[in-house]
Amino acid sequence: MFVYLLTNWSLLCPLGCACTHRSGPISLRFVSPVCLFLSQALHQLYYDPNIENKNLAQKWLMQAQISAQAWQFCWALLRPDKVPEIQYFGASALHTKISRYWGDIPAEQYGTLKTQLFSQIALFASGSKIVLTRLCVALASLALNMMPEAWPGAVGEMVRAFQEEGGAADGRARCLALLELLTVLPEEFQTSRLPQYRKGQVRGALGREWAAVCPLLQQLLRQPESPAPVKARALKCLSSWVLLDVPLSESEGLLEAGFAALADPELFDTAVEAIVNAISQPDSQRYVSTLLKLVPQVLQLQEQLREAVQNGDMETSHGICRIAVSLGENHSRSLLEQVEHWQSFLALVNMIMFCTGIPGHYPVNETTSSLTLTFWYTLQDDIMSFEAEKQTVYLQVYRPVYFQLVDVLLHKAQFPTDEEYASWTSDEKEQFRIYRVDISDTLMYVYEMLGAELLSNLYDKLGRLLTNAEQPTSWQHTEALLYGFQSIAETIDVNYSDVIPGLIGLIPRININNVQLADTVMFTIGALAEWLADHPVMLSSVLPLVLQALGNPDLSVSSVSTLKKICRECKYDLPPYATNIVAVSQEVLIKQIHKTSQCMWLMQALGFLLSALPVEDILRNLHSLITPYIQQLEKLADETPNPSNKLAIIHILGLLSNLFTTLDITKQEEESGDSAPPIKSTPPQTGPNPVVVVLQQVFALIQTVLSKWLNDSQVVEAVCAIFEKSVKTLLHDFAPMVSQLSEMLGQMYSTIPQASALDLTRQMMHIFASETDHFPPIKALFELVTSVTLTIFQQGPRDHPDIVDSFMQLQAQALKRKPDLFLSENLDVKAVFHCGVLSLKFPEAPTVKSTCLFFTELLPHCADVPPVGQVVQDDGKLLLLAVLEAIGGQSSRSLMDQFAEVLFCMNKHCFGLLTVWLKEALQSPGFPSSRVSNEQKDTFSQQVLRERVNKRRVKDIVKEFTLVCRGLHGTEYAAEY
Amino acid sequence: MAYQLYRNTTLGNSLQESLDELIQTQQITPQLALQVLLQFDKAINTALANRVRNRVNFKGSLNTYRFCDNVWTFVLNDVEFREVTDLVKVDKMKIVACDGKNTGSNPAE
Repeated sequence: MFVYLLTNWSLLCPLGCACTHRSGPISLRFVSPVCLFLSQALHQLYYDPNIENKNLAQKWLMQAQISAQAWQFCWALLRPDKVPEIQYFGASALHTKISRYWGDIPAEQYGTLKTQLFSQIALFASGSKIVLTRLCVALASLALNMMPEAWPGAVGEMVRAFQEEGGAADGRARCLALLELLTVLPEEFQTSRLPQYRKGQVRGALGREWAAVCPLLQQLLRQPESPAPVKARALKCLSSWVLLDVPLSESEGLLEAGFAALADPELFDTAVEAIVNAISQPDSQRYVSTLLKLVPQVLQLQEQLREAVQNGDMETSHGICRIAVSLGENHSRSLLEQVEHWQSFLALVNMIMFCTGIPGHYPVNETTSSLTLTFWYTLQDDIMSFEAEKQTVYLQVYRPVYFQLVDVLLHKAQFPTDEEYASWTSDEKEQFRIYRVDISDTLMYVYEMLGAELLSNLYDKLGRLLTNAEQPTSWQHTEALLYGFQSIAETIDVNYSDVIPGLIGLIPRININNVQLADTVMFTIGALAEWLADHPVMLSSVLPLVLQALGNPDLSVSSVSTLKKICRECKYDLPPYATNIVAVSQEVLIKQIHKTSQCMWLMQALGFLLSALPVEDILRNLHSLITPYIQQLEKLADETPNPSNKLAIIHILGLLSNLFTTLDITKQEEESGDSAPPIKSTPPQTGPNPVVVVLQQVFALIQTVLSKWLNDSQVVEAVCAIFEKSVKTLLHDFAPMVSQLSEMLGQMYSTIPQASALDLTRQMMHIFASETDHFPPIKALFELVTSVTLTIFQQGPRDHPDIVDSFMQLQAQALKRKPDLFLSENLDVKAVFHCGVLSLKFPEAPTVKSTCLFFTELLPHCADVPPVGQVVQDDGKLLLLAVLEAIGGQSSRSLMDQFAEVLFCMNKHCFGLLTVWLKEALQSPGFPSSRVSNEQKDTFSQQVLRERVNKRRVKDIVKEFTLVCRGLHGTEYAAEY
Repeated sequence: MAYQLYRNTTLGNSLQESLDELIQTQQITPQLALQVLLQFDKAINTALANRVRNRVNFKGSLNTYRFCDNVWTFVLNDVEFREVTDLVKVDKMKIVACDGKNTGSNPAE
């Protein structure tokens, strides 16, 4: 049926025909067949169960709405005999035409269109609400387009028009319609597509119209006989107008009426919205005297707030809190500066404090307290930004307030009882966790103001709590206080605080009878790791706790991460405890208490720990630590590969890599100058590095594992990871391994190529490029992997974008560190070049990026590496074509900077050739895109050839050209943001 | 309007890549693509503001800072990220920060 419809539509009015100007916008010529089709299409859109029909109908209707004939059928569709769906479509079409095709309307018809709309709105004032709103939006759009010249005093005219008696609608309906119209007017302005210069004009004109709106709203809100729906609509209208930055001083009376409306439950929400919108306007801070008048009005709400809290009326308390917070948050600076009114502002601050401390647990019993947190930051910032003398005065008043805030926040951060917490949903628990993080951030910030005294305050409280024998302490209370400590110590240097030793002394007194409490104890110790490094004598008090917790699977994350922090920060003070730590760790690893990732962290912790021991001790510990795993690996290597032993192998290999990541016997010199890289100094040692010793011992075993798992990329990756981490940590100490590892990698890669082998080769290339003794095996490996990869390219590289990616990175690294590799007879430079050209066309962005990097490293060697120069001369045009194709739309737009860099390099290093190639390439019609004209291509090539210094400029030129090629140029979608 | 700076993320880039393709093959108009992008801005701003509370600490030396059009920009050198699992070091970091509560303006990165 719909195909017929569409055909008919196009017969009636081919879309885009020039009939727009012939038939004016307000012609009432009745186009009955079109109306019929529209009705059918709308019926289909609303009621057809078939989604395809619905979509077809929608598409057709959207076309109809913007067609020239919409001017005619929209009026017909609004006729009273139509159903609201059809009338709505008519009104909506009218709005679309007015807002988007304003140019269609001849100026002499503005007046008639306006009259027509007024009478339609009057008709619908007592009709369907959705149609009325659409018509109001259409009239608003008309007004915005005509203001200010073509329709001066628009709002005044609207008010007058609706106040006149007559028509079908009664006074109340007309009043509501007028308010609806006045409400949508500023909203339509916010979303309108007026050109920038018009926006300013219209905004100014609208601002002047406020003089007509304000008295009307005032009258309606103050009249006791105004019905609630009228008052609600008036408040909504106020909300909408204040967003235009109308002067706050002029809305004083209206806001007063808004505050009065808060007592009426029916008007409460709308009144809150209007008051909050008015207060939050950026411009409102200029009206300090009005703001001062608002403070007592807000304070008067305290009674209502208390009542709401008592009755558990969350909506009301939330609304009142929003008002108080919006006044405090937006205007704290202005209000603080009114010194003579300090008491009323302090009262407002206390009211917000009440909201912060609202009884009940977040988010189950209340959701209001979280609204207030930002206020405390703002107030603190404002106080701290005063000059010193003034600040001291304010601090005298507000420091006690912030100490109280800390108490309130720590109270709110307390966990509920165990039974209650168990009844919470996982979503509620997550909300609570987030809330506690927000509190923790606030406390951390508050510390900036309260300083070390905050820590002593917390310490005193904790001390009293733990030493009070009379009252039993709840674990929740203790936990919250520790959480406060942890929040601060985690990010702030607490080195100068004198209470930390006392705190550490208190920790053993805590009766840890709950997992949450135990977790917080652990995290608090972890947060103090840096402090412990400066006070190693205290290590003996906390380590036993941590080691004990390590055996508890419920404390897995907190205990392992705390041990890791301590091992990282305090490794030079840990040797006396090393045996014990290793023994406990080994035990928990064997008992499999922790999940895989915690096992990996634990190995990293042990790596840090061992680093500070004498070499023979490292070897002894390594031996006892690793032996069980080596034995297990030997056993696994003998078995036939299956999914479960694969996981076990990867787990063991992972443990080894994590251990070698942090096991570093060199000492980093602290702060060795500004920009110089850290210098490593190796302590005098006799034998090879212990890591190398272990690696050499297990090398044969790893080879055996590999021989069975060579085609499994995860196992190969895990093997490569061990060496990669070791190379990164050991740097040149890795030298003794270079030869055998190169040989193994070569064998691996020739059998089954994997990207991780190339990455490891690149790593070694990076470190050993300038070491003549160790480089030959790497050179041989490089040549081997290159020739193997070239074979992959012959067979079809599309299945291996990861290999291609790593290959291009390796080639780029080689060109950077050792360009003379490209002089070797064993390296087919031409083939590598062609592979690069092919890889530029890959859809995988990272691969293309690496390939662009390869070419930007290659092109500068045109002159000094003859084979490179030769291949560029012979086949450089192919590279250019690939780059142009990509810019023409074949490659992602986000990669254009990379392609621009290749182009820039070509221009810099082979300018003569590029000039010729560009000319030839762009000559073919439709290349690189059918959307670009010859002139545009000419301009592009001239611009590119001119820029041989400014890379940024070339990037801009390419960006511009690619948009033209893709048909995106000049669209708002592709506009720079 | 929501901030647009998240368009330059993996997710935002992938979305734009798909939209570009749809425009080039004339399956959608640039206007519709713009609407999708604006919707993305709104969604990611809300999601990042409301759903994420993960925390990571870092320290480094501040090289440059500026506050322009309500956008803070900090350039840091030698930054160390400390997370439970790892310590990550980067030579250079740029922080672009906008007011999370302010949805009225539209600064650009």
